Amino acid sequence: MAVKKIAGREIETLTAASDRISLVDFSATWCGPCKMLEPVLEKASEELAARVSFFAVDVDASPAESSKFGIRGVPTMIVFHQGREVDRMVGFRDKGALVKHLTSIADEKLGV
Amino acid sequence: MIELRTGLVGSGAGSAGGETDLLIAGGGPAALAAALYASRYGISHVVAESWQPGGQAALTARIENYPGIESITGGDLAAALRRHAAAWGASFEASSVVSAKPSGNRIEVVTDAASWSARTLIVATGAAPSRLGVPGEEEFYGRGVSYCATCDAPFFRGKTVMVVGGGDSAVKEALHLAGFADRLYVVHRRDRLRAEPLLVEKLLGCDRCSVYWSSTLLEIRGSDGVESVLLRTPGGEAEVPVDGVFMYVGRTPATAPFRDLIDLNPDGTVRTHDVVHTSRENVFAAGDVTDNELRQVVTAVSDGARAAAAAFELLQRDEGGKG
Repeated sequence: MAVKKIAGREIETLTAASDRISLVDFSATWCGPCKMLEPVLEKASEELAARVSFFAVDVDASPAESSKFGIRGVPTMIVFHQGREVDRMVGFRDKGALVKHLTSIADEKLGV
Repeated sequence: MIELRTGLVGSGAGSAGGETDLLIAGGGPAALAAALYASRYGISHVVAESWQPGGQAALTARIENYPGIESITGGDLAAALRRHAAAWGASFEASSVVSAKPSGNRIEVVTDAASWSARTLIVATGAAPSRLGVPGEEEFYGRGVSYCATCDAPFFRGKTVMVVGGGDSAVKEALHLAGFADRLYVVHRRDRLRAEPLLVEKLLGCDRCSVYWSSTLLEIRGSDGVESVLLRTPGGEAEVPVDGVFMYVGRTPATAPFRDLIDLNPDGTVRTHDVVHTSRENVFAAGDVTDNELRQVVTAVSDGARAAAAAFELLQRDEGGKG
């Protein structure tokens, strides 16, 4: 499962699922840590394919939505379940930490 | 353009580990220089790239004091260092070191991707920006509080921002922010800045910038995002409206996995002697993780080269002993 690039109103429609959680990575082309996070998200998306959907939003391409979600720093990763924000992480995470954290959120929201 | 993830060994999770002559922990300039030298020495090795490939250099807006290159973005320099090491055969693993302990004359290193038995280890895991620990700092992280001006400056175009700190990083990143913000404050607890005089001169000459001298940040306030900060100034407490706060108040060395392996100083840095040697014969340290005074890309790469050379020398002694 790869990281899907999305924009605009797709953020709301694609994160509404109840049987999965969704991670949306708000990033920018000018941001070093965002570039470093990309391969981490790719690998995490493979490991967590059964329960977590991964999306990426370029803040320059979706300024209104970025502002709506209060993004003032990149990378910011927001976790959604049933369309509601359930967690927010700012800055780079390594794969181990990210997978562990998302697994605990998935366990809580979807059941073990 | 940053190209920091090419030439990985395995896929991280698929990397099998095993025996290696040298394990380099870290992904910044010190580790990358060590990887370059180790590759050229023909040492079998693996680089566990740690928490942030490119290290702190990759977070720096511009580097203007690396000899031979007048001006370059930190990301581009980090990518060039990595490309150079990869071109000579450096082997990278996308992983962080979880633990490291001695086993006979080797070090058992567990990363979040594999387990390695290494004859020598170079600790070059660098340091992460320190938190100041004031109310509002955690709450507004990513909502106006930032530790990376390079990443977040464009969000503050035409706004008012405050930089906390007075060292090279604080002033350098304040100057980067001044290119975006309408108004920029620096708050510093002393009555003079510790940064390089050239940088200080630039900051003091910037007409949209001003410094709160001998002042400390007490609290960051806001609702959805940062709206103001509370300062203690020589004239009393003052609430200053700002949209963003950028923290440059020192660094915390990433030495937790090595706590029981080698001697650390009370501030968490690796205690070194003869620049790159540690309390254990087959463990070396390089860059910002050490207690060496100057913390620059140029000193980090120098440490990395020396550490690889020291590891090479030890491995050569092993070979000599066999003959």
